[in-house]
Amino acid sequence: MKEAEIKKVVREGYARRVRERSSCCAPSGADLSRKVSRAIGYTDEELSSVPEGANLGLGCGNPVALASLAPGETVLDLGSGAGFDAFLAAGRVGRKGKVIGVDMTPEMIEQARANAQKGGYTNVEFRLGEIENIPAADSSVDVVISNCVINLSPDKARVFAEAFRVLKPGGRLMVSDIVLLKELPDFIRNSMVAYIGCVAGAMLKNEYLETIRDTGFQQVKVVDEAAFPVEWALGDPAVQAIIDKLNLAEDKLKDIASSVVSIKVQGIKPK
Amino acid sequence: MDILVCPVCKGELELTVEEENEEEIVTGALHCAKCDVSYPIEDTIPNLLPPDQRA
Repeated sequence: MKEAEIKKVVREGYARRVRERSSCCAPSGADLSRKVSRAIGYTDEELSSVPEGANLGLGCGNPVALASLAPGETVLDLGSGAGFDAFLAAGRVGRKGKVIGVDMTPEMIEQARANAQKGGYTNVEFRLGEIENIPAADSSVDVVISNCVINLSPDKARVFAEAFRVLKPGGRLMVSDIVLLKELPDFIRNSMVAYIGCVAGAMLKNEYLETIRDTGFQQVKVVDEAAFPVEWALGDPAVQAIIDKLNLAEDKLKDIASSVVSIKVQGIKPK
Repeated sequence: MDILVCPVCKGELELTVEEENEEEIVTGALHCAKCDVSYPIEDTIPNLLPPDQRA
Protein backbone atom coordinates (compact mmCIF):
# COMPACT_ATOMS: atom_id res chain seq x y z
CA MET A 1 0.00 0.00 0.00
CA LYS A 2 1.23 3.47 -0.84
CA GLU A 3 1.74 6.00 1.94
CA ALA A 4 -0.73 8.52 0.57
CA GLU A 5 -3.36 5.81 0.23
CA ILE A 6 -2.83 4.66 3.82
CA LYS A 7 -3.18 8.21 5.11
CA LYS A 8 -6.37 8.73 3.13
CA VAL A 9 -7.98 5.53 4.36
CA VAL A 10 -6.93 6.20 7.97
CA ARG A 11 -8.30 9.73 7.80
CA GLU A 12 -11.61 8.57 6.34
CA GLY A 13 -11.85 5.70 8.79
CA TYR A 14 -11.41 7.97 11.80
CA ALA A 15 -13.72 10.65 10.41
CA ARG A 16 -16.38 7.96 10.29
CA ARG A 17 -15.66 7.09 13.91
CA VAL A 18 -16.37 10.64 15.01
CA ARG A 19 -19.73 10.42 13.28
CA GLU A 20 -20.60 6.97 14.53
CA ARG A 21 -18.87 7.23 17.89
CA SER A 22 -17.46 3.77 17.25
CA SER A 23 -13.90 2.60 17.83
CA CYS A 24 -11.16 0.10 17.26
CA CYS A 25 -11.02 -0.87 20.87
CA ALA A 26 -14.72 -0.89 21.63
CA PRO A 27 -18.14 -1.14 20.06
CA SER A 28 -19.99 2.17 19.98
CA GLY A 29 -21.58 3.71 23.05
CA ALA A 30 -20.46 6.00 25.84
CA ASP A 31 -20.77 3.34 28.52
CA LEU A 32 -18.44 1.03 26.71
CA SER A 33 -15.90 3.77 25.97
CA ARG A 34 -15.85 4.39 29.69
CA LYS A 35 -15.54 0.75 30.58
CA VAL A 36 -12.67 0.25 28.15
CA SER A 37 -10.93 3.40 29.36
CA ARG A 38 -11.17 2.34 32.98
CA ALA A 39 -9.68 -1.01 32.08
CA ILE A 40 -6.67 0.60 30.39
CA GLY A 41 -5.81 2.62 33.46
CA TYR A 42 -7.75 5.88 33.56
CA THR A 43 -9.48 6.69 36.84
CA ASP A 44 -13.18 7.49 37.15
CA GLU A 45 -12.18 10.96 38.24
CA GLU A 46 -10.22 11.50 35.04
CA LEU A 47 -13.05 10.13 32.94
CA SER A 48 -15.54 12.48 34.58
CA SER A 49 -13.29 15.53 34.30
CA VAL A 50 -13.46 15.87 30.52
CA PRO A 51 -16.41 16.97 28.36
CA GLU A 52 -18.72 14.25 27.13
CA GLY A 53 -17.63 13.13 23.67
CA ALA A 54 -13.93 13.77 24.27
CA ASN A 55 -13.31 10.12 25.02
CA LEU A 56 -14.13 8.04 21.96
CA GLY A 57 -12.52 4.99 23.55
CA LEU A 58 -9.95 4.82 20.75
CA GLY A 59 -6.72 4.75 22.71
CA CYS A 60 -4.68 2.08 24.34
CA GLY A 61 -4.11 4.27 27.40
CA ASN A 62 -1.48 6.76 28.45
CA PRO A 63 -2.12 7.53 32.13
CA VAL A 64 1.57 7.14 33.06
CA ALA A 65 2.57 9.96 30.74
CA LEU A 66 -0.22 12.15 32.07
CA ALA A 67 0.83 11.48 35.66
CA SER A 68 4.36 12.74 34.91
CA LEU A 69 3.28 16.19 33.74
CA ALA A 70 4.21 19.18 35.89
CA PRO A 71 2.57 22.62 36.13
CA GLY A 72 3.87 25.02 33.50
CA GLU A 73 4.96 22.40 30.98
CA THR A 74 4.21 22.56 27.26
CA VAL A 75 2.80 19.30 25.95
CA LEU A 76 2.28 18.14 22.38
CA ASP A 77 -0.27 15.37 21.75
CA LEU A 78 0.30 13.54 18.47
CA GLY A 79 -3.00 12.32 17.05
CA SER A 80 -5.10 14.15 19.61
CA GLY A 81 -8.44 12.85 18.31
CA ALA A 82 -11.44 14.24 20.15
CA GLY A 83 -9.12 15.65 22.82
CA PHE A 84 -9.43 13.25 25.75
CA ASP A 85 -5.74 13.04 26.69
CA ALA A 86 -5.13 16.69 25.76
CA PHE A 87 -7.80 17.80 28.26
CA LEU A 88 -6.40 15.58 31.01
CA ALA A 89 -2.93 16.97 30.25
CA ALA A 90 -4.32 20.51 30.36
CA GLY A 91 -5.51 19.92 33.91
CA ARG A 92 -2.04 18.73 34.87
CA VAL A 93 0.01 21.56 33.37
CA GLY A 94 -2.36 24.26 34.62
CA ARG A 95 -2.84 27.83 33.44
CA LYS A 96 0.85 28.50 32.92
CA GLY A 97 1.26 25.37 30.89
CA LYS A 98 0.00 24.64 27.42
CA VAL A 99 -1.23 21.65 25.45
CA ILE A 100 -1.16 21.46 21.67
CA GLY A 101 -3.07 18.72 19.90
CA VAL A 102 -2.26 17.76 16.32
CA ASP A 103 -4.50 15.52 14.24
CA MET A 104 -4.84 15.06 10.48
CA THR A 105 -8.59 14.35 10.51
CA PRO A 106 -10.68 17.55 10.25
CA GLU A 107 -13.69 15.90 11.90
CA MET A 108 -11.57 14.97 14.94
CA ILE A 109 -10.17 18.50 15.27
CA GLU A 110 -13.68 19.99 15.01
CA GLN A 111 -14.94 17.64 17.70
CA ALA A 112 -11.93 18.42 19.92
CA ARG A 113 -12.45 22.13 19.43
CA ALA A 114 -16.16 21.82 20.34
CA ASN A 115 -15.18 19.82 23.41
CA ALA A 116 -12.63 22.46 24.43
CA GLN A 117 -15.35 25.11 24.30
CA LYS A 118 -17.74 22.92 26.25
CA GLY A 119 -15.13 22.34 28.92
CA GLY A 120 -13.93 25.96 29.01
CA TYR A 121 -10.27 25.06 28.41
CA THR A 122 -8.02 28.05 27.78
CA ASN A 123 -4.65 26.31 27.68
CA VAL A 124 -5.36 23.80 24.89
CA GLU A 125 -5.08 24.42 21.14
CA PHE A 126 -5.78 22.08 18.29
CA ARG A 127 -4.20 22.19 14.85
CA LEU A 128 -4.91 20.27 11.74
CA GLY A 129 -1.59 18.74 10.84
CA GLU A 130 0.41 15.62 10.20
CA ILE A 131 2.52 13.89 12.79
CA GLU A 132 5.11 13.25 10.05
CA ASN A 133 5.29 17.03 9.45
CA ILE A 134 4.68 18.55 12.88
CA PRO A 135 3.85 22.26 12.62
CA ALA A 136 5.81 23.14 15.77
CA ALA A 137 9.19 24.86 16.12
CA ASP A 138 12.43 23.06 17.04
CA SER A 139 13.04 22.59 20.77
CA SER A 140 9.68 24.09 21.74
CA VAL A 141 7.93 21.49 23.91
CA ASP A 142 8.67 19.70 27.17
CA VAL A 143 6.74 16.50 26.56
CA VAL A 144 5.44 14.67 23.50
CA ILE A 145 2.56 12.33 24.25
CA SER A 146 0.64 10.08 21.89
CA ASN A 147 -1.90 7.41 22.57
CA CYS A 148 -2.26 4.51 20.15
CA VAL A 149 -1.65 6.60 17.02
CA ILE A 150 1.92 6.16 15.77
CA ASN A 151 1.11 2.62 14.59
CA LEU A 152 -1.18 4.24 12.02
CA SER A 153 1.65 6.19 10.41
CA PRO A 154 3.23 4.72 7.28
CA ASP A 155 6.53 6.42 8.27
CA LYS A 156 7.09 5.88 11.99
CA ALA A 157 10.81 6.74 11.89
CA ARG A 158 9.87 10.16 10.61
CA VAL A 159 7.28 10.64 13.37
CA PHE A 160 9.92 9.93 16.03
CA ALA A 161 12.42 12.21 14.26
CA GLU A 162 9.84 15.00 14.28
CA ALA A 163 9.06 14.39 17.96
CA PHE A 164 12.79 14.58 18.68
CA ARG A 165 13.10 17.84 16.76
CA VAL A 166 10.29 19.66 18.57
CA LEU A 167 11.33 18.51 22.06
CA LYS A 168 13.54 20.76 24.15
CA PRO A 169 16.85 19.21 25.26
CA GLY A 170 15.97 17.07 28.27
CA GLY A 171 12.37 16.78 27.01
CA ARG A 172 10.47 13.50 27.22
CA LEU A 173 8.76 11.29 24.72
CA MET A 174 5.98 9.34 26.44
CA VAL A 175 3.84 7.33 24.09
CA SER A 176 1.58 4.33 24.24
CA ASP A 177 1.10 2.21 21.17
CA ILE A 178 0.28 -1.17 19.71
CA VAL A 179 3.27 -3.34 18.76
CA LEU A 180 3.74 -6.93 17.67
CA LEU A 181 5.65 -9.75 19.31
CA LYS A 182 5.76 -11.61 15.99
CA GLU A 183 4.84 -10.86 12.39
CA LEU A 184 1.17 -11.06 11.44
CA PRO A 185 -0.05 -13.28 8.60
CA ASP A 186 -0.14 -11.48 5.23
CA PHE A 187 -3.90 -11.47 4.94
CA ILE A 188 -4.13 -9.33 8.07
CA ARG A 189 -1.24 -7.09 7.16
CA ASN A 190 -2.93 -6.37 3.85
CA SER A 191 -6.28 -5.62 5.44
CA MET A 192 -7.17 -1.97 5.60
CA VAL A 193 -9.74 -2.61 8.32
CA ALA A 194 -7.01 -4.20 10.42
CA TYR A 195 -4.85 -1.17 9.66
CA ILE A 196 -7.42 1.26 11.02
CA GLY A 197 -7.96 -1.14 13.92
CA CYS A 198 -4.37 -0.35 14.98
CA VAL A 199 -3.02 -3.79 14.15
CA ALA A 200 -1.85 -4.13 10.54
CA GLY A 201 0.36 -1.03 10.71
CA ALA A 202 1.98 -2.04 13.98
CA MET A 203 5.73 -2.73 14.06
CA LEU A 204 7.57 -5.48 15.84
CA LYS A 205 8.27 -4.36 19.40
CA ASN A 206 12.06 -4.58 19.08
CA GLU A 207 12.08 -2.64 15.82
CA TYR A 208 9.83 -0.01 17.37
CA LEU A 209 12.22 0.53 20.29
CA GLU A 210 15.21 0.43 17.95
CA THR A 211 13.65 3.13 15.76
CA ILE A 212 13.21 5.37 18.81
CA ARG A 213 16.83 4.80 19.89
CA ASP A 214 18.12 5.40 16.35
CA THR A 215 16.39 8.77 16.41
CA GLY A 216 18.68 9.82 19.25
CA PHE A 217 16.46 9.29 22.28
CA GLN A 218 18.19 8.03 25.40
CA GLN A 219 16.98 5.96 28.36
CA VAL A 220 14.39 4.37 26.08
CA LYS A 221 12.34 1.91 28.07
CA VAL A 222 9.02 0.14 28.15
CA VAL A 223 7.29 1.22 31.35
CA ASP A 224 4.25 -0.99 30.89
CA GLU A 225 3.08 -3.75 28.61
CA ALA A 226 -0.35 -5.36 28.33
CA ALA A 227 -2.13 -7.77 26.04
CA PHE A 228 -4.17 -5.95 23.42
CA PRO A 229 -7.84 -6.48 24.17
CA VAL A 230 -8.68 -8.18 20.91
CA GLU A 231 -12.16 -9.06 22.08
CA TRP A 232 -12.99 -5.36 21.92
CA ALA A 233 -11.81 -5.15 18.35
CA LEU A 234 -13.93 -8.21 17.69
CA GLY A 235 -16.97 -6.23 18.78
CA ASP A 236 -16.41 -4.06 15.70
CA PRO A 237 -18.80 -5.25 12.99
CA ALA A 238 -16.24 -4.56 10.26
CA VAL A 239 -13.64 -6.73 11.96
CA GLN A 240 -16.23 -9.42 12.53
CA ALA A 241 -17.10 -9.35 8.83
CA ILE A 242 -13.48 -10.00 7.88
CA ILE A 243 -13.21 -12.89 10.29
CA ASP A 244 -16.38 -14.43 8.91
CA LYS A 245 -15.22 -13.91 5.36
CA LEU A 246 -11.85 -15.52 6.00
CA ASN A 247 -13.44 -18.30 7.97
CA LEU A 248 -10.84 -18.03 10.72
CA ALA A 249 -10.72 -20.77 13.28
CA GLU A 250 -10.82 -19.66 16.90
CA ASP A 251 -7.42 -21.07 17.86
CA LYS A 252 -5.80 -19.39 14.86
CA LEU A 253 -7.44 -16.15 15.91
CA LYS A 254 -6.17 -16.51 19.47
CA ASP A 255 -2.69 -17.16 18.20
CA ILE A 256 -2.77 -13.96 16.16
CA ALA A 257 -4.24 -12.06 19.08
CA SER A 258 -1.47 -13.16 21.42
CA SER A 259 1.16 -11.50 19.24
CA VAL A 260 -0.42 -8.05 19.60
CA VAL A 261 0.45 -6.02 22.72
CA SER A 262 -0.03 -2.47 23.93
CA ILE A 263 3.09 -0.80 25.37
CA LYS A 264 3.91 2.46 27.10
CA VAL A 265 7.34 3.71 26.11
CA GLN A 266 9.42 6.63 27.24
CA GLY A 267 12.64 8.22 26.06
CA ILE A 268 14.59 11.40 26.77
CA LYS A 269 16.11 13.85 24.31
CA PRO A 270 19.67 14.36 25.58
CA LYS A 271 20.62 17.77 26.97
CA MET B 1 1.69 31.22 18.26
CA ASP B 2 5.45 31.45 18.79
CA ILE B 3 5.60 27.67 18.54
CA LEU B 4 3.77 27.49 15.22
CA VAL B 5 5.94 26.91 12.13
CA CYS B 6 5.57 25.84 8.51
CA PRO B 7 5.15 22.03 8.49
CA VAL B 8 7.32 21.73 5.38
CA CYS B 9 10.38 23.99 5.91
CA LYS B 10 9.82 24.64 9.68
CA GLY B 11 10.27 28.34 8.95
CA GLU B 12 8.39 31.22 10.55
CA LEU B 13 4.83 32.01 9.54
CA GLU B 14 3.34 35.43 9.02
CA LEU B 15 -0.16 35.88 10.38
CA THR B 16 -2.97 37.70 8.57
CA VAL B 17 -6.15 38.21 10.58
CA GLU B 18 -9.50 38.45 8.82
CA GLU B 19 -11.75 38.02 11.81
CA GLU B 20 -11.04 37.73 15.50
CA ASN B 21 -12.91 37.80 18.81
CA GLU B 22 -11.68 38.62 22.29
CA GLU B 23 -9.96 35.30 22.74
CA GLU B 24 -8.70 34.13 19.39
CA ILE B 25 -8.38 34.48 15.66
CA VAL B 26 -11.44 33.08 13.94
CA THR B 27 -10.48 33.44 10.29
CA GLY B 28 -7.17 34.29 8.71
CA ALA B 29 -4.07 32.84 7.19
CA LEU B 30 -0.51 31.89 8.04
CA HIS B 31 1.92 32.54 5.23
CA CYS B 32 5.30 30.93 4.77
CA ALA B 33 7.44 33.28 2.72
CA LYS B 34 10.10 30.67 2.03
CA CYS B 35 7.69 28.09 0.57
CA ASP B 36 5.27 30.77 -0.69
CA VAL B 37 2.35 28.84 0.76
CA SER B 38 -0.61 30.12 2.77
CA TYR B 39 -2.12 27.97 5.49
CA PRO B 40 -5.74 28.94 6.17
CA ILE B 41 -7.25 29.51 9.63
CA GLU B 42 -10.92 28.59 9.53
CA ASP B 43 -13.29 28.62 12.48
CA THR B 44 -10.24 29.21 14.75
CA ILE B 45 -8.44 26.07 13.56
CA PRO B 46 -5.17 26.49 11.65
CA ASN B 47 -4.89 24.01 8.80
CA LEU B 48 -1.22 23.09 8.82
CA LEU B 49 -1.46 19.98 6.73
CA PRO B 50 1.27 20.03 4.05
CA PRO B 51 -0.28 21.47 0.85
CA ASP B 52 -0.22 18.09 -0.94
CA GLN B 53 -2.16 16.51 1.94
CA ARG B 54 -5.05 18.95 2.00
CA ALA B 55 -8.38 17.27 1.43
